[in-house]
Amino acid sequence: MRHYNTESFRRILNDILMDRVVFESVSKLFRHRPALFNWLGRERGGATMALKDLSFTVGEGEVLVLLGPNGSGKTTALKLISTMLLPDAGSVRVVGFDTVRDGGRVRRQVGIAVATERSFFPRLSARENLEFFAALDEVPLRDRAARIDAVLRDTGLAEQADTLVMKFSSGMYQRLGIARALVKKPAVLLLDEPTRSLDAATTAHFWTTIRSLAQQQATILLATHNFAEAAAVGDRLLLLQRGDLLADRSIRSNESMEELRAFYFRMTGEVDEALRPIERAGRAI
Amino acid sequence: MISALDKLSAILRRDLLTAVRHRTGFAITVLGLLTQLAAFYFLSRAIGPGFRPGGVEYFPFLLVGTGVYTFFVMSTQAFLNTVQEAQQTGTMEVLMTTSTPPAELVVLSSISAFAGTLVNLAFYLVAGIALFRAPIHTNAASLLTVLILSLMIAMALGIAAATVQITFQKGSALLWLLSSGAWFLSGALFPVETLPHPLALIAHAIPLTYAVEGMRMALLQGRSVIAMAPTLAILAGFSLTLLPLALWGLSHSLRRARQNGTLSFY
Repeated sequence: MRHYNTESFRRILNDILMDRVVFESVSKLFRHRPALFNWLGRERGGATMALKDLSFTVGEGEVLVLLGPNGSGKTTALKLISTMLLPDAGSVRVVGFDTVRDGGRVRRQVGIAVATERSFFPRLSARENLEFFAALDEVPLRDRAARIDAVLRDTGLAEQADTLVMKFSSGMYQRLGIARALVKKPAVLLLDEPTRSLDAATTAHFWTTIRSLAQQQATILLATHNFAEAAAVGDRLLLLQRGDLLADRSIRSNESMEELRAFYFRMTGEVDEALRPIERAGRAI
Repeated sequence: MISALDKLSAILRRDLLTAVRHRTGFAITVLGLLTQLAAFYFLSRAIGPGFRPGGVEYFPFLLVGTGVYTFFVMSTQAFLNTVQEAQQTGTMEVLMTTSTPPAELVVLSSISAFAGTLVNLAFYLVAGIALFRAPIHTNAASLLTVLILSLMIAMALGIAAATVQITFQKGSALLWLLSSGAWFLSGALFPVETLPHPLALIAHAIPLTYAVEGMRMALLQGRSVIAMAPTLAILAGFSLTLLPLALWGLSHSLRRARQNGTLSFY
């Protein structure tokens, strides 16, 4: 049994009452080692600094969007919260529990929908997959069937509940991933590019679901490179680039969406490619 | 306890449904086992009744030896496949973020993998006895004891293969070592005593040798638990050492993989 001193209790109490997720000076480095028999010398060793001294907090019922181009460190941040990764420096705390020392307690609080589409058992149906993960997530047996029905309905998969997932499309896999993250009713929900393969109608429905979960006091961290998505669902936006935090802005503040959007594309140096074909077509935005 | 049983039943259900829905794979396994039995039956007939290793006929000697050997290889292979598939499909990372501690998850998954290969072993032995009339003289208590201890050792080997897979992405290397070296060193095909002295020494350091020997004593010679106490003690020693060591190694490799970000590398 772990013993906590007064300082630990104060920190846990503060995290529970105030901040559900706390990043304190977190750094993450990925080392690349070349293959053993690197005859041609083409493969280079080295390291990638995925996150540099990142600090932020997320409160209860808050939707925090991690926005940034590819390789900015969004997914790494989510993986650090879920304990899939451990930090090299600094600390990550979830509801007061440190991800390194109290990984088990952290995992009970966190649900993650990963970007990997095929992270399911192909010869099981959607419902059977959810039943399997619900058992491992210790969802009480008496609530399990009702909860699974509810998340299947919420993600628009009720009709495909008994279809083997090997027959699913990319969008259906993605919805099932979200259903899996929701079934344990986590205090902290992590969503990595959740609408990447979804059609417009399902995306709109999903954004409504996210806002309603936040109203039920769930803390949500959503990683995306889609500014429209960030603006639609977020309360706050963390702008990341190559592991650096460029900005921490409240989306509900008076700052106009247009200013935020311009700021994003200016800071990241990204080109708003979506605008070009629209402009070329002579349409107003 | 209830929670662990609930999880075990979920894992067993997953594996059973996957196996049943893979009808072709199931049929090929049965056909493979029957072909192997037939080959050993005709081999023993060709060698003739004069060769009686350990005082038993050669076919039952082969039946038990190859049955136990196949059980060890197939269960390690089954468990390794589970880990490799989880890495390739991306299930591994998700499984490692559920509320179930990784060590518990691995032990429960290995129980399920071994339950399947245990059914194969039972089928192999029963088919050998029924179809090819292999004479047996069984002591149930001894058989159960050998089976439990062998299962613990097989679990340790499976977990060790998973550890090698997670750390070096080459779990099949351990399987290759098991399936090549142990094939002739464990006494599955012929008595260990016929090996040259240095090889016999190596053979006696392999747990599989004692599992094969113990199974023959319990199933073919009807020896009591007391009569085969030395073999059981060695098997218990191996299982009590190897299983905690394998679990420690796995826990260490998972932590390292989380640190290096290589959990889903394959």
